[in-house]
Amino acid sequence: MTAQRWIHILWPAFIVGGIGEGIFFTVFDPADLSLFGEPLVASRVAIYSAGFFCFWAFAACSSALTLFFQRTSAEINRCPIPDPTQRPPGCPKREDPNACCG
Amino acid sequence: MDTRVEKVDAGKPLDAVEQGLYEIRKKIYPRAVTGMFASARWSLVIFTQVLFYGLAWLPWNGRQAVLFDLASRKFYIFGLVFWPQDIVYLTVILILAAYSLFLFTAVAGRLWCGYACPQTVYTEIFMWIERKVEGDRLARMKLDKSPATARKVGLKLTKHGLWIALALWTGFTFVGYFTPIRTLSHDVLAFATGPWETFWMLFYGFATYGNAGWMREQVCKYMCPYARFQGVMFDPDTLVITYDRERGEPRGSRSKSADPAKQGLGSCVDCGICVQVCPTGIDIRNGLQYECIGCAACIDGCDQVMDKMGYPRGLIRYSTENAVRDKLDRQGLIRRVFRPRVLLYTGILLVVLVAAVTTLANRQPVKVDVIRDRVPMSVDNGDGKVENVYRLQIMNTDETPRRFEVSVSGMPGIEVSSRELPLELKGASQRMLPIRIRALPQAGDHGSQTIEFRVTATAIDNPSQAPVTINETARFIVP
Repeated sequence: MTAQRWIHILWPAFIVGGIGEGIFFTVFDPADLSLFGEPLVASRVAIYSAGFFCFWAFAACSSALTLFFQRTSAEINRCPIPDPTQRPPGCPKREDPNACCG
Repeated sequence: MDTRVEKVDAGKPLDAVEQGLYEIRKKIYPRAVTGMFASARWSLVIFTQVLFYGLAWLPWNGRQAVLFDLASRKFYIFGLVFWPQDIVYLTVILILAAYSLFLFTAVAGRLWCGYACPQTVYTEIFMWIERKVEGDRLARMKLDKSPATARKVGLKLTKHGLWIALALWTGFTFVGYFTPIRTLSHDVLAFATGPWETFWMLFYGFATYGNAGWMREQVCKYMCPYARFQGVMFDPDTLVITYDRERGEPRGSRSKSADPAKQGLGSCVDCGICVQVCPTGIDIRNGLQYECIGCAACIDGCDQVMDKMGYPRGLIRYSTENAVRDKLDRQGLIRRVFRPRVLLYTGILLVVLVAAVTTLANRQPVKVDVIRDRVPMSVDNGDGKVENVYRLQIMNTDETPRRFEVSVSGMPGIEVSSRELPLELKGASQRMLPIRIRALPQAGDHGSQTIEFRVTATAIDNPSQAPVTINETARFIVP
């Protein structure tokens, strides 16, 4: 489940980050950018690469929030107990004694 | 979302619902298949990969023929050079790609997925390696179940070694489209590649190895956005891989000599070949499913069984919902291809294509931007003339070296002064040219006047060629 969550967060973010990167750097030349008033000294390829990871990270935050807000009201109201085995019926991971997050 | 809420309300544990959404993957051991569609797929695998691995090495005008030079922000595609200002062509390419995909999908379903998608192509190559090393389906299943013997470890190491070698070569080629590949190959041999080049080669290589070696059909099932929305481009006249239920059912095994009609059986011998060859592990006899990538391996497999049984081919075939229902013949099927949706997609594609080719052919090989220097706004030279300073961004966008002359008009006594004129520029290069303009304002000329720059570019190697002229207006400030 945890691995799946990570994929749910990272993979759509990868696609959107790639598109964002492409559009941003088509319009802006990395050589024209400045960081806190100082011109960026790194090579274009380095800025493109770092830029991609920034876009990816931002998009990943958005994916993570989507997952977070996806929880139904039933889950939020009824399943706040950290130990899943103690949760009321209908909550996730109740039957899994190893699921507890401590 | 809705189904999930419903199921929760029905009192079922959430866990079961989530499990249902993503069941634990069972490893799929696709059986090798031969036939018309397998050959078609292999032809495309070879064609696309010769193109991909080979094109990077093709020279053109003393440079790489296809190079997306990110470091200098210029894309070279054979004789054409694209600059960031040419973003409209990128948009055009995206529109063309999208409409081609719509068109192909409307006509014959997931042609892209089945034959040309890199995921399919690399999976096919990786599976070929796997088959050569470990054997076909049954041999592989047996090997995976067997304890770790020296032979097993040897075979697995060989397979992964070959996969990784191919993946690294793919990563190297990929980066070779962004950094000149010949320089890159020297750097690789000398272990002197830049940090980012190394990183992206490994990244792309790892993605190839992971996607084609390990993930395979899961990429199509869980990661591909197209697989999710291709359904909306389908209509009842779209060619899809169809099991002829009416002819096939009731399915059942029988001896070759038996008459199925007497036994009350349809044509399906229930041999399971169609399931065994399926790279996504589905049973096409259950109808069209979103997992089906349209590779037609089941058609090839089933046709061979039909041949062996002496039954007509085509129990599984490319057909449409309407054709199966109305029992259309081949001609009726082809006639249905020319329906409004297909004609509309074709029309849009043609219009965009013609517009793109026309504008590309008439593209001016020179671009000029006039930027006024704001400090100082204007200078009174004492001889009655006023001076304004500008910067001219002059771009020689194709690969012909050119000589640039600048003249200016729009005010009395207006003249150009720059030490750098005439300016010579190599092919595919640009220069920011500082330039002073002096003019003699008349009584009443105050504030902003309109002047016109005229930039004339002549080909240095071929002066008889008609020069390119660009006119740009600018403001001239009189105090």
